[in-house]
Formats: sequence, structure tokens, C-alpha cells
Amino acid sequence: MQDALPAFVLHSEAKRRFTMSDAPRDSDASRSQTRPFGDNEQSDEQLMTAFSRGQADAFSPLFLRYKQPLFGFFHRRVADPAQAEELTQETFLAVLRAAARYRQSALFRTYLYAVGFKILRAYRRKAAFRATFLGEQPPGREPAIGSAIETQALMREAVGKLEGLDREVLLLREFEQLSYAEIAGLLGLPLNTVRSRLFRARMALHDLLAAPASRPAAQEFAHFKERL
Amino acid sequence: MNTAAHPVAPEEIMAFLDGELAPTEAQAVAGHLGRCAECAGLAGKLRATSGWLAQWAVPPVPSSVEEAVMRQAAQVAAGHIPARPRSFFNPSMWGWKQWALGGGGVMAAAVILLVVSSAIFFRPVRQAEMAQQVAPSPEAEGYGSTRQPNDQPAVVKGKLAAGSAAVTQFDSLQAARYLPETRAGGGGAPLPTPQAAAAPMIARTVSLTIVVKDFAAARASLDSILLRHRGYAAQLTAATQENAPRSLQASLRIPAPELAAALAELKTLGRVQNESQSGEEVTQQHTDLVARLQNSRETEERLRAILEQRTGKIEDVLQVEEEIARVRGEIEQMEAEQQALEHRVEFASVDLQLTEEYKAELNSPSGSVWNRLRNAFVAGLRNAAETILGIVLFLEEDGPVLLIWLAILGLPVFLLVRRYRRMRARL
Repeated sequence: MQDALPAFVLHSEAKRRFTMSDAPRDSDASRSQTRPFGDNEQSDEQLMTAFSRGQADAFSPLFLRYKQPLFGFFHRRVADPAQAEELTQETFLAVLRAAARYRQSALFRTYLYAVGFKILRAYRRKAAFRATFLGEQPPGREPAIGSAIETQALMREAVGKLEGLDREVLLLREFEQLSYAEIAGLLGLPLNTVRSRLFRARMALHDLLAAPASRPAAQEFAHFKERL
Repeated sequence: MNTAAHPVAPEEIMAFLDGELAPTEAQAVAGHLGRCAECAGLAGKLRATSGWLAQWAVPPVPSSVEEAVMRQAAQVAAGHIPARPRSFFNPSMWGWKQWALGGGGVMAAAVILLVVSSAIFFRPVRQAEMAQQVAPSPEAEGYGSTRQPNDQPAVVKGKLAAGSAAVTQFDSLQAARYLPETRAGGGGAPLPTPQAAAAPMIARTVSLTIVVKDFAAARASLDSILLRHRGYAAQLTAATQENAPRSLQASLRIPAPELAAALAELKTLGRVQNESQSGEEVTQQHTDLVARLQNSRETEERLRAILEQRTGKIEDVLQVEEEIARVRGEIEQMEAEQQALEHRVEFASVDLQLTEEYKAELNSPSGSVWNRLRNAFVAGLRNAAETILGIVLFLEEDGPVLLIWLAILGLPVFLLVRRYRRMRARL
């Protein structure tokens, strides 16, 4: 199946993908991804290369494109919004620090999320370490005080009930809009595993979010499998 | 429902909706979705899930982030690269590699510390134990000769410092030197003088393994050393084997006063590979023997007096004669014992093993290739078996202790790791 997938193209303009939902997206990932570049607008990779060669103003458009998606990336994974801000900032700083060594070997987007993911892991490790050895209470996944919107709380709770890796695959696909291949590369998983985990996560989430239905989607999926 | 009715897998429907299918497959799935209500329902669910998720909005990024990042970007563009936070010294930033490295380092340090400390703590005890067996060295002789032989208890009890133990033993040796003199004047049945009785008698035994370069010269030197110190070889075996170093095993008897000098000379023969010395205290044994001998002699004299002075029936006379014969036998046996004991004290026993430093000879005939291969193979098998046996023995002997330590150290580590994992899972 993966042989039939389109070849990996190292240019973000080539990655126009449509989403399965017709519902309006929020202000982050989908908008920035689907926004076509104008004729005089440079791609992410071109901007980053230009910045790494010393063009000071090249980073600004790049930051504007990705500040919201990256903030969303952390905000959905870390309960504390202040912590999400800090991690967003840290990720951009890490990219800046490594700018001189930047080589265009993958999409800038993938690169950025890979850096973000590394920083997220380090943060989780740190928080778990402090909770284990220093007795500090780890920030839970409960919605932080002030996030008044009930939908957000509901989503966070439902997504939090998924298995760790399933959750990660789902979030990367739904919000960061990464392709299956990119997710596989980022998480170090086989492509088929990404697909099956994504399907499982979506079915489980449907069951969690849908009103108590007569038959949960996961059961239906099992029924579906039997027929094949 | 059957496979023909659903030619596409549910995951393919999802991949189609995600735009992850090749055009031909996408067409097939799209066509099927138009025909199959069930699959269309599944697609609807998937869309609904994504739709719900899309409502999870995130507030806009605070401007403080933008300011900080753009400030840094300006610095980087100006050529100033901000320093990376040092994560190596912060354990909370460590990954499994750092933990493995750190843990391994700590374990290695603990093992080294254990080995070193055990070597330090146990050494003095062993030294003292060894000192009790060590013969007087020439230096000790120089010190000890200024002392009176009897002003020190002969038997060393408990763990004394190495120096004092050596001195005490040396005094014993000095005392033994006096003993033959007291005995020599006494003829057949000498009574030990009070001074001699108080002097301890030590039967000394020395074991020496020496590796020599020139075997023949060493052999000649050995004979001359024995002659010079009025010693003799009680037993001597020399072996000359093919393709093997020549060796000599001898049991030497050296007069006790000459022992130190003779040993010093023996050690010049070659490299001392092994040396052990011991002294057996036989004073008590000797005193007992002398007392019993005295009693028996008195008994014999009384019996003889009876025989000479009194007359009686022939049976009584015979009975006394028999008794005299029995007592005489006892006396002779005890005299022999006494002599042997005194000989042991008078002559120190030196077990000497001389081995030649082996030099393989070019013209030495070697076995056939086949035999050598076979022998090497057998030796290899034996070594392997010995190694396995060694491992099994080690596990049998030290396994339980290791398990105890594993339990003691492993439990807290296990609990911490479990807690850490739980915390990770909660994040």
C-alpha cells in the first residue's frame, strides 16, 4: 500500500492536502498549511535557507507562519498554557541556534515539529523526574483554570483517555496535518502501524465524543473486519 | 455481506479521506463509497470525529513569545549564537543513555571502592597472621640478639603487630639454641634445668620454591650450602623430563641456629617464587615426655632393687622380671620419642623445590601435528568444561548473596522507576 503513496517531495508547496472535515478549522495548522504562497512568496525551506545564510529578515515570515501551529502543538499536549508558551519559545530558539547548521533534507515543517517533539519529550521527562524524585506534583492533563470553553475541556479529556502513542499519532494528523509518512518518520514507527493506530484512535475518540450510541464505533469496526 | 461487497478495508477508507491514497486506489474507494451505505457511514463517522476535533481551538500566541523569539533572531542574524542550556548536569533532562551511563559509572565506582576498602581493611589482619609463621629475618636477629631469651612469652596469642610477633618468635629460636647444650651435659637421662624447662622448644618448618636459571650450578651450590651449615638432605628427588624444565625436590635438615644463614644463602640460588615458614611449639610435649621418662626410670630402679634385695618364690621373681622388661620397653620407646623431638627442634626442616627456568630447545623433538592438534582439542574441551563448572560453582556459591543484594538494591530502584513511568504516563 505504501508503495502506492506519492513520493516524498521536499517542498512544502507541493504538499497540498485536503482535509476530511468540512467544518471550519481554527486559526492554526490547517490555515497555514492550505494557504497558497503567492508568486513573490517564498517557501519555508527557501526562507530558512536564506536566514541561515545571514538574511536577517527571512525568519520573520517563517515565524509568523508557524507561531500559531507550534503554539497549538504544545497547547494541546501540555495542560499549562504558560508552559506551552515557554516550550513554543524554546523550540523557536532551538531552531535559531541550529540555523547555521540547517540543511534542507526534509520539509521545514517536519523539521520544526521534530524539534518541538524533542523539546516536549524533554519537558515531560523533566516533569516526571521532578514528580518522582523531588515530590513535585506533575501538571495533569486536566484543563487549566481559565479555559472556559467546555468543548476544549471535553476534547482534552477525551483525547487524554487515548493510549499515549495513539494520541500522538492522532494529534499530529489532525492538527499538525502531517502525512502518514511524516508521522512515521517523526515517531519512528512503521507506516502501517501509523495507519492502524490512527484508525484505532479515531474510532475510539468517536466513541468517546459521540453521545452514548447504540453500538460503539470500535465494535462496528470489529464487525467490519469480520466481514473482510 | 462478503468480501466482494466490501473490496476496501476500513483503514483504506480513512487513508482515502486523508488524501493518502494513490489516484487509482482513491478512485476505487470513492466508487465504492458511492455504492455502499455501510462504508459511507464509516466515512461519515471519521469525518465527524475530525469535525469535532476541529472545534478544539487554541488561543492566539501571546505577543511576549513573538518579542522574545524575534529578539533572538536578530541576535542570531547579527552573528551572536545564544548558548545552549546545559542539560548534561541536570538529571531531569537525562534520557536512558545518560541514566545508563551514570548508573553504570556509580556501580563501577562502588565495586572499585568495595575492592579497595576490603583490601585496606583486611590486610593488617593477614599480615599479623602471616607474621606468626614468618621466620626471623636477619634484621630481626640483630635486634633480638640484645635481648634475654626468656623475658618474653613464647607463645604468641592473638593478633600482634608484625614486628613484635617476629621478635617473639626469634626469642623462641634463641631459646632452642640453648637447649641442646643443656641436654648434651646430661648423658643418657638429662633432667632439664629450670632455665631450659622455661625455654620454649620450637620445631621449625620452612617451605621454599625457587626458580633458578642454571640448574646444575644451583645443585652444586645446594650441596655446598648443606656442607657449610652442617645440614643434610633427608630426601632428595631430581627430575629431568623431556620438553619440560628440570626440577628438584628436597627435604633438608639444617641445624636450627644455622637456619637463618642457610635460608639466606638458599634464596640467592634464584628467584624465590614461594616461601612459607612455620614453627611448632613442642615444649609441653617435651616436658611431659621427660617427666614420664623420669618416672619410668625410677620404677625400673625400684623393681631392680626389689629383685636384688628380696628373695621370694620363683613366680614372684619371674613376675618382677616381666615388669622390669615392660618398663624397660617403655623407657626405650620414650627415649626414642625424646630424641626424635629434640632432633626436630635441633634441626629445622626445609622443604625445597628447585625449578629450572624453562627454555624451549629448537632441536627438541615435538609430537606429530595430529597428536598436538588432538591434545590441544582435548585441552580446549577441558578448559571449556572447567569454565562452565567455574561459572556454575560461582553461581552456587555467590548466587544467593547476589540475589540478596539485588533485592536490597533493586527494590528501591524498581519502585522509583515504576513511579517515574507512572508520572510519564500521566503527562
